[in-house]
Formats: sequence, structure tokens, C-alpha cells
Amino acid sequence: MSTNVIMPQMGESVAEGTITKWLRKVGEPIGRDEPLFEISTDKVDAEIPSPAAGILSQILVKENETVAVNTVVAVIDGEGAATGAPAQQVEAKVSTPPEVPEAAEPPTPAAAEGGEIEAEGGSAAPESEEVRSSPLVRRIAREYQVDLTQVRGTGSGGRISKKDILDYVEQRQSAAASRTGAAQPPSAPAASISPPAASLPSPTPAPVQPAPAPPAFTGPAQVVQMTPMRRQIAEHMVGSKRTSAHVYTVFEVEMSKVVETRERQRDEFERRNGFKLTYTPFFVRAAVEAIRDIPVINSSVDAMNIIYKRDVNVGIAVALEAGLIVPVIKRADEKNFLGIARAVQDLAERARTKRLSVDDVQGGTFTITNPGSFGGLFGLPIINQPQVAILGVGAIEKRPVVRDDAIAIRSMAYLSLSYDHRVIDGAVAEKFLSRIKQILENWSEPVL
Amino acid sequence: MPVLTYVEAIRQGIWEEMERDPSVFLLGEDVGVLGGAFKVTDGMLEKFGAERVIDTPISESAIVGAAVGAALMGMRPVAEMQFMDFIACGFDQIVNMAAKMHYRWGPALPIVIRGPSGAGVHGGPYHSQSNEMWFVHTPGLKVIMPATAYDAKGLIKSAIRDDNPVIFYEHKFLYRRIKEEVPEGDYVVPLGKAAVRREGKDVAIITYGAMVWTALEAAGELEKEGISLEVVDLRTLLPYDEEAVLGSVRKCNKVILLHEGTRTGGMAGELAALIAERAFEDLDGPIVRITGLDTPVPFSPPLEEYFLPNARKVIEAARKLARY
Amino acid sequence: MRSSKTARSSKPRNAPEPATLERMLHYLKLTREAEARIEQVLYRQGKIVGGVYVGRGQEAIGVGSALQLIAGDVVLPSHRDFSSFLIRGFSLADIFANWMGRADTPTRGRDNTLHIGNMKLGIIPIISPLGGTCPVACGVAMVLKWRAQGNVALVHLGEGTTSVGQVHEAMNMAGVMKLPVIFIVNNNGYAFSTPVEKQFPIKNLSRRGPAYGMPGKAIDGNDVRVVYRAVGEAIAWARRGEGPSFLECKTFRMTGHSAHDGAEYVPARLLQSWAKKDPIQRLEKHLLSKRIMTRQGIADLDRRIQKEVDAAVADAEARPLPQGESALEGVYCGPDCWWKGRSQKSEVRSQKQGARSKNTADDSII
Repeated sequence: MSTNVIMPQMGESVAEGTITKWLRKVGEPIGRDEPLFEISTDKVDAEIPSPAAGILSQILVKENETVAVNTVVAVIDGEGAATGAPAQQVEAKVSTPPEVPEAAEPPTPAAAEGGEIEAEGGSAAPESEEVRSSPLVRRIAREYQVDLTQVRGTGSGGRISKKDILDYVEQRQSAAASRTGAAQPPSAPAASISPPAASLPSPTPAPVQPAPAPPAFTGPAQVVQMTPMRRQIAEHMVGSKRTSAHVYTVFEVEMSKVVETRERQRDEFERRNGFKLTYTPFFVRAAVEAIRDIPVINSSVDAMNIIYKRDVNVGIAVALEAGLIVPVIKRADEKNFLGIARAVQDLAERARTKRLSVDDVQGGTFTITNPGSFGGLFGLPIINQPQVAILGVGAIEKRPVVRDDAIAIRSMAYLSLSYDHRVIDGAVAEKFLSRIKQILENWSEPVL
Repeated sequence: MPVLTYVEAIRQGIWEEMERDPSVFLLGEDVGVLGGAFKVTDGMLEKFGAERVIDTPISESAIVGAAVGAALMGMRPVAEMQFMDFIACGFDQIVNMAAKMHYRWGPALPIVIRGPSGAGVHGGPYHSQSNEMWFVHTPGLKVIMPATAYDAKGLIKSAIRDDNPVIFYEHKFLYRRIKEEVPEGDYVVPLGKAAVRREGKDVAIITYGAMVWTALEAAGELEKEGISLEVVDLRTLLPYDEEAVLGSVRKCNKVILLHEGTRTGGMAGELAALIAERAFEDLDGPIVRITGLDTPVPFSPPLEEYFLPNARKVIEAARKLARY
Repeated sequence: MRSSKTARSSKPRNAPEPATLERMLHYLKLTREAEARIEQVLYRQGKIVGGVYVGRGQEAIGVGSALQLIAGDVVLPSHRDFSSFLIRGFSLADIFANWMGRADTPTRGRDNTLHIGNMKLGIIPIISPLGGTCPVACGVAMVLKWRAQGNVALVHLGEGTTSVGQVHEAMNMAGVMKLPVIFIVNNNGYAFSTPVEKQFPIKNLSRRGPAYGMPGKAIDGNDVRVVYRAVGEAIAWARRGEGPSFLECKTFRMTGHSAHDGAEYVPARLLQSWAKKDPIQRLEKHLLSKRIMTRQGIADLDRRIQKEVDAAVADAEARPLPQGESALEGVYCGPDCWWKGRSQKSEVRSQKQGARSKNTADDSII
């Protein structure tokens, strides 16, 4: 084991020393703490004792040479080298000539982060440099993918202020919301901006939602990227919840008449038409009839206007392996029972074989979904934007009910209506479901 | 509930701590027989005796040094500087002896150095300074400046109970000019926590000491013009409540930093750096400082008035910032 | 002569018994050897960095005064009073480790030289702006006076330090309040390169004592028995309620101001003449002439001391350096601060080290 002998620092500001005399030659033995060499510095001359015992194996700095403090001037081979290490540690860490402590890399969020962020959001939020704004405004622009050159500034000197950009974003969102279409963009943001989570502004993720993402899960998991359909569903559902004032009402309907009619007619129906008679057409017909009486169910909202649609295009939610899809029965109000039944059958078939056209899934004005088909008692579905109501049909089950103050067993089903309280009040919703109930419980339309 | 002035509240706080803990004692010039130049310790000599209320020679270094020695022996001394301007005479004992002691070899050093500071009373350069930043710049100390009577009592109690050297600045302008209901009996106000004196949403104003009242005055005027000011009282300057500062900035997106102390190296500079580092993207306008001038505090009234921030200066700055 | 916790004989311990004299020699030699190891070996090997200050030639002051301390007394030594730390019970290994900036030390690597303290052992260290401990000693003495248990504070300072304003404030306060504090001035001839002729306009600093309302005495600081007696008298004076004393110990600085000071400004003849008054030689001579010790005994003592110092250096060297991040800890004293002292409580702890010395505070009380 060998020990390095170093030029010691004799005084706080001394940076170098000169070897004036070696007291041993190479190859000679030396004891620990025995004088090994003499030095001269600015402040003092001194005799330096050996840090270890052993043989002086190398002299690296000659007499009359001047070297910097901590330079290795000789090497000793032999025992007692353990003391060498701490000394060097100490040297390395402490006694190097006083240096101005390097300023830790300043975070400079403005420069570094700002540049990063600009690049990330570059494609959709350009030219924020050319327009007068502020860090806050630029951040909002990034989050909402706003081109600042399109925003009118009312701040001093035409600067875009926080109010200006928030107004712009709100206007843009409500304009988008009035357009019809299957997948709607996310709705208008809340007026207050949530503060950045970290102390330094973090780069924004790929443009989707303005709400901050929850912390990433770190346990064992399998990561699967969303399919386009799933992404669309996700966006639409969240957007719908944000747009409409969802309220729910549930009715219980006695399905005896309908069940009995279906039982009676199903075989003949199937024989004549080549497909099974399901309950769906009953509900669609009832809904369409009820809409005739309460047309606001068939409307949509455009800023401060209610658009009453003339056609009743009923969407039927179909569950697929990969998600769900809502093909639309166009002008259902012009079809009779059989026409509806045929349309349902056709769309469901094409949905399952992926042969629906774009037109098949667009233009709906009202939607019916069937949580009951999987056993659900009733559901609270999300309104299919830009509609204002959606009917959920629960499972048809035999239940004990009270009739004429006695218990009777009847086929019952829950109907739930999710409706948009912006334009439909409770009384109206109740009236609508009541009408459907009435139609179903008193079914009279011929099925064949 | 009794209504106390700021000075009465401090006196009550010290009195209650003296009663509660026999290791608390006072020392300083004229604190005993006279009851203190501003009567803060009035009546305490009679009540607690000459061993616990000590009239010292004019020796700020010895006063602070003796406090240090007594604290090492397990006591809780409260040393008075007759004017905080004279704290400079005890500077070595504060920053070299007291501030570094725990860090270096471990003992608690529960001393409080308290005294009147601040301008607005025609005191001239040596009876008007706000020199808190000398000590805010010294790790190991705590620096407090209450703005209300309630806080003054609660904070002096917390300071006395703290195991670290605390520099307690009492704004002399507020001594008799402000009063409010102050609960009798024991309560404390925590060190290191700011207080929102007035909620607002357009411009945040972070301040402390007598300037809190200036900010409130300005806020009242600005409200009539539809500008809503949020006034934050720091109360503790070291260690200061970063989250309170950042929270108000994030809420209002515009901020004014206000203090009486001189501009360069003042608390506003420290806060401005913090805000720029941690809330850059929440700023909808530049950070604004309103401070004392970079001069000694002048004596003649028109000069002193020019030196000091006032409500009018705050209102003008807030208007401009709100419009930015 | 073992002293109990609170009692102190009214007669000052003037004439040290043989056992005490032997202890004096032990501490003089241990101090000399330990400081030589620090200044002439470890520092020159780069194992100790930063400023190095030793008190070679002035050891009698620390030894003679610290051996008069009992449990409950507090000493505020100077950087030339290595022996005060040893006598009060600091471990040699801890002192070496602190010099080497290790983590497990009284300062956790945060301060060096003799800036180490321990209230349980009754030691308060200097800060580099010398003179600051004088007012602190007054505060300590104030509390000791209230507790009325016969305890005193000793504060050591150099002759150069007596020019600092705070020292005068402290002496004035001690005099007017009659505090039980003893100011022990180590007049070693030079404050760095400033000789006494440039430091103050009088020959004997002891004259200042009466000016501040306390007795002032100039003594031979290189005779440990003289120091011992003088400090004993001052302590008795304080205990009688007469207040502070001022002791000027004449000695000489046999090294540079620090390890990196060649001190060429000191005339060689001064060093030569003072070398003849070396405190260790003088005590050895006395012990031999009174047959209290033999030459063999002294040689054995030297060997034991070598071993003790070797062991302490090895112990210290084996300790690790602190982690950088630990620099952020402990700026403030929080609820888990180690110091839990209150004025009424006194905790009696028995010392693990220094058990050999009977006069040392085996029961340290604060």
C-alpha cells in the first residue's frame, strides 16, 4: 500500500510551496511523523513530517521546485498507508485554494423552461413572442392552444391581458359547442386558472384537457394506449358533463302489455320479417310519440338559443367489443313500428359488422340506451351532445307491485331520463316520461 | 374584551410571560425604574423585582452578550435596545455570537432582542431606521415585526417561548396610534406565518409593520374605483411565509411589495426574486416595489415625508398596475 | 482533595498538594504534546486544514486556573487554553477530530480550532471576533450569582483583546453589578505582530482592575503554582460576594500567532530568554527537588502521554467526514434540540472521561 505525500497548505491564502530540502533519498526507509522534507512558503518555512511509515519510493518534485498546494510531491510504500486516504479526502474537499463558490445553476425558468415550452406547444401556439402579453397570458395560450395573434388586447399599449385571453377562450368554446357532431371538443374552461403544480412551471402535456392530470400510478401495471374510438368516447363523455346541467328522473313502467304483445306476436313477426322482434322498437316508438307532445326534448342549445329540431333522429346506443357506438334512425317520426324495427335491426347488424357509414352515426336528436340489456335496473347515462336528453331503459323483470291494494306480480322496467336542465325543467321531464309510460302501459299500435 | 394599544399589548404579553415562566427576565437601559423609554416595561420592576428587571449601563454589546450567557445557563432573557438604531452597537454579539451558536455547538439560545423601530415621528437618522435586513440576512436568527396590537401580544409571547435568538421590531409609530380588542390571558401567534389582512383579487400587496395600515388605507380608496387589493401582512421576516406570498400572487396575478426600509437590499427585492422564481407564469404584470428611499432617514418633515411610502403612492402604483 | 457538589472551603486552595502538583504536570505535558502534534505534525501533513493556533509556553495559565474549578463553575477559555478543555473533561480524540473537521465531533464539522463548547461540562467557546466572550461571561455570572451556590465564571482573553470595546463594557458591567466573574488576561507579548508597546499605553494591564471596580493583579503566568494560588484567591473573593477580579498573567508566545506565521518580527533573544522560564521545566524542577516525582516517573509520564496522544489521533483519523447536505441542518433549535435546560433544573451527570482527576467536576452541573 502506498501513501501520497502532498505539499501542505501553510496558511489560509497560501497557494503554493517550494521544496527546499529532501531529508531522505529514494529507497530509504522513513518512520511515521519523522521529518521528511523542508519547504518554504510566503508565510513560513517548515519541516514536514512523513504521513506514513515505509520506504520512500518516489520523489516527484525536486529541491527548489515550486508546486501548488496539495500536489503530490512523493510516494511512500509500506504499512500505515491508511492515513493517506483521509488526508486526501480532506484535501480534496476542504483545503483547495479558496475558490469563489460556483453559483449553482440558476433555474432561470424564464429562459430554459420558456424555450422548452414554446417548442412543445409550437405547432399550435406560435408567435407569442411578437404579441405583447405576459407570462400568465402565454401560459393560458399554451394550455388552450390559442394563437395570440388572434386575440384582441385591451391592456396597456394593446397588451393582451388575462381577461382578454380568458374572454377569447370562452367565446371560442361556446362557438364550437354549437356545432353538431359526434365527437365534440372539450367545453369552455372554468374562469379561474389553477396554479401550476410544481414550483417551476412544468411543460404542458399534448393538447387535450385543461384540467391537470392526476399523479401517475407507479405500481405494477400494463400500459395500453387508447384506441381512437375510446379517445373519442372519453372526450365526448367528459365534454358532455361539462356542457349540460345533467339532472335525472326515473320512472317505473308496467311492461305487461308490451310483454304480452311481444309474446303473442313474436313468432309470426319473425316468420314474416326474417329477424327477431325485440323490445327496442317499442321504446323507440313510445319516445318518438312522446317527443311529438314535448318537442323541447328534441332540441339543442346554441349559446342563448334553443334550436328545436324538426326531424326526430333517434340514436340507439349499441355496445361493441371495443366500446360503444350510436347509430341513428333518421326521421324516426315518419316510421311506423315495423319501420322502426327494421331500422333498429339494420343498424345493429351493420354496427356489429363494422359497416356503418359516417352518416349513420351523425345527426341524432335524441338517444336511447339500454343498461337493462346487461341486467342493470336502471342507468344514469350521459347526454349525447348536442342533444338535451337521453333515455335509459332498464331490465324488464317480474316484480311484486301493488294493484288495487293487493300484491300482484308484473313485468316492470325502470326508465331513466338524463336531461339538460338548461332547457328542460323537472316538470317537463316528468311529463315526457309520463307520456312514454302511458304509451307503453297502454300499448295499442299493431306490431305486425 | 378590553381594547389595548399596540404598546399596551406588548407590555401585557411580556408581563404574562414573566408570570408564567420564572426564567424570563428583562435587561436593558432604563427598563426598570423608568419603565422603558416608551414605557413598554412600565410597572414591571415593582412587580417582578430588580433581579428580573435589570437596569444596565449603556453597553449594547454587554447587554446582548449577557443575554447570551444567561440563556446558555437556562434563562430566557428579553433584552431591550432603546432604539433599534442602536442595535448596531451590539451587532457582533447578535450575528457572530448568538446567531451561530446553535449551529456550531448545539445549545438553544432563547433570547429576544426587542425595541422600537421605524419612521414617521420626526426622529431623524438615528431614531427612525428600519434595519431589519441586517438580521434577515443572518441565518440562525428570527426576525419579527407585528403590525397590530393583537399580533404584538401574541408574537412577543411566541418569541419569548422560541428557543432561538429572535429580533423583535416594534414600530414606534404604531405604539399609541392603533388599538383593538386584545384577549386577556394566554394566546400565541405563530412565528413564520403571514396573515391576509384584506382579501382581494386584482392586485396583491405584500407588506409588514406600519405599512400594513398604509396598504389598508389605499385598499379602501381603490375599492371605490373597482380595484380590489389583497393585503398580506408578513409578520415574520425570517423565516418568512413563502406559501402565503406565492398564494396571493397566484390569485391576483399582480403584486406590489411595500416596506419602509430602504430600497436596495430590502425585503421587497428578496420577495421579488422568490416570486419571479416560483410564480413567473402567474404574473400578468411586472413586480412593483414601493419602499423607503436609498438614503438615511431625514429629519425635516417634508424630507421625511418624501422618504416614506404613503397611501397616495400605493394608490397610484396600484392603479397603474391594474391597468397594465 | 475532593470537593463536593456545592461546598467550597472558605480558605482558598493555595498550597497544592502533591497529587495536585502531579496532575498539573500531567496536564502541562499532555497539552504541550497534543498541541505540538497538531501544529508541527498533523497540520504539516495536511491532515488539519484552516487556521491553527496553539498556546505553547502559556500552558500554565489554563492548567493553573482550570484545576481550581468545581462543579457548577463555567469557564470561557481562549484559543491558548487547550488544557482547560482537557481538565473540564473534553476527550482528546474529540478535540483532534474537531480539528480535522470530522462529522462526529462537538461541532459536527461546523467550526474548528477550540470553538467547541458543552454546557454540561461548563465550557463556552470563543468566537473569532475575540472579546465577545467577556459580556457572555457577565451573563453567566449574573445567573450564578442568583443561584447563590458559590460558583464563578472564568473568562480568558489575550492582552490584545483587552483593546476591544466589548471587554470594557463587560468589565464595567461586572464591576457595577458585582458579578462573580474573573477576567484572566494572557499577556504573551504579541497580538499577531503587534507588540504590547503598540497595543496599550500602560505597562501592567492589572492597573485597569481598580478602574473598573475590581482588584487587579499581575502575576508570573509561567509558574503554574502561582497561577493556581492567584485564581484561588480571586474565586474566594467572588464567593464572598465581593465581585469580579482581574488577573494579568505575564507569559510569552513561543510560537507564531498561528501555524502559518513565521513570527520573524519577534526578536530571537526574547524567545531565548523566555525559553528559560518554560512552565513545564520549572514544575519538573520543583517536583524533582521536593522528591514528589522521580526522573523515571517523569519519563514514564512522557511515554504514557505519547501513547495517549497517538491513540487519540488514531481515533480521530478513523472518523468519517460529514456529508455535504448536513450543512443545512440545525440552523434553528427546534423542539428536538438537545438542550433541554431550564433554570430550575440541574442535571447531575457523571463524566466518563477525566475520572482520574479528583478536582475535575465529576459531577458537572449546569
